[in-house]
Amino acid sequence: MSKGNRGRDRAAAKRIVEQQKAAERRRRVTIWTSVGVVAVLLIAGLIGWGVLANQEKSTDASKVNTPSVAVDDGTAFAVGTGPVTVDIYEDFMCPICHSFEDQTGPTITQMVADKKITVRYHPVSILDRASNGTQYSTRSAGAAAAAAVDGKFLEYHKVLFDNQPEENSDGLSNEKLIELGQSVGLGDTFATAVNDKTYDSWATKVTETFASRGYNGTPTIVVNGKQVEGPNNTLPTTEVFTQAVTAAAG
Amino acid sequence: MDLRQQPSRLAAAWPWISTLARLGLAAVFLIAGGLKVTDLAASARAVNAYDLMSYDTAKVIGAVQPFLEIALGLLLLIGIATRLSAAIAAVLLVIFIAGIVSAWARGLQIDCGCFSKGGELTGGRTAQYGLDILRDVGFLALAGILVWKPRSKFSVDGLLMGDR
Repeated sequence: MSKGNRGRDRAAAKRIVEQQKAAERRRRVTIWTSVGVVAVLLIAGLIGWGVLANQEKSTDASKVNTPSVAVDDGTAFAVGTGPVTVDIYEDFMCPICHSFEDQTGPTITQMVADKKITVRYHPVSILDRASNGTQYSTRSAGAAAAAAVDGKFLEYHKVLFDNQPEENSDGLSNEKLIELGQSVGLGDTFATAVNDKTYDSWATKVTETFASRGYNGTPTIVVNGKQVEGPNNTLPTTEVFTQAVTAAAG
Repeated sequence: MDLRQQPSRLAAAWPWISTLARLGLAAVFLIAGGLKVTDLAASARAVNAYDLMSYDTAKVIGAVQPFLEIALGLLLLIGIATRLSAAIAAVLLVIFIAGIVSAWARGLQIDCGCFSKGGELTGGRTAQYGLDILRDVGFLALAGILVWKPRSKFSVDGLLMGDR
């Protein structure tokens, strides 16, 4: 062997060792970064869980002011005394709820007067995202509960729809909600409840109940426990609704 | 000469393509998570709308998912354990696609809740499942690029491995 050859061999060996070291380093980096990634994701998941648990506390039965007049596990306000039960889940920000009210409201009023149905109104707040962070759905549902306590649910329900704000606007201010209350004869206790958000956590609870019953959209109309819809999950027409009530009455 | 140069040029381009894929996917997850994290109750309702699990389970998934998406988005943004992060993103996307397909197959009319709190979809508005799926498949392709070629520029991986 010549000297030159030996030198070349040594250089080659050195290169191999360096390559092995680099490969070893890559392996170590891959293992530890992978462990780090998994740990970060686990922690993120736990944070989500923790935040949820914390929020659950605010809808604990002990912290929610359930209006004394509420029926159906304290989630609704009943109107009428008829044998057929009609549950209406509505959000005061929802334009289709307003349409349903305009379209079928008079028929419902007539059925209540004829003692055919008992309507249970469930004010839910699923459209809080559509009021620029002012949570109009929750505030209006809470205000409706305050009106119900003072015996004016139906009247207040009507003025809320008559004055429905546009989706993705700020919604009506608390002052406006109180002013509308005054227009139907609601007084100081109502105003205090609106300003103190007395029933806002109750509205959240009603929405929870609504979701746990498997309903997603508003208005959801349920006649004697059976959801009534038009074709392709559309709003039922007054005719479809009337048929459902007639069928339920047997 | 041209023949020999083409492949090497492509090889040089891959880290840049992967970088774009990584940052794009990071943005997708950060936005998707960020939109949901502000209202976990709505996120729970969106999951519940798929009608695949009990409401109590949906609540947990709905709360955990946005945080997971944000964390994954941040990990992709800094580019750490890129291949694993991208693989996890791919798994999540496959689950999302499966969920949408199942909602579609069962004729549910729901908002997929991909980039919103979703859930409620009533009267008039129709679900656009085809578009939702197409979009998610596009994101899945980004994740695929990263699983295949995880090396990218401006990444913690590159820094630690001493690539540059």
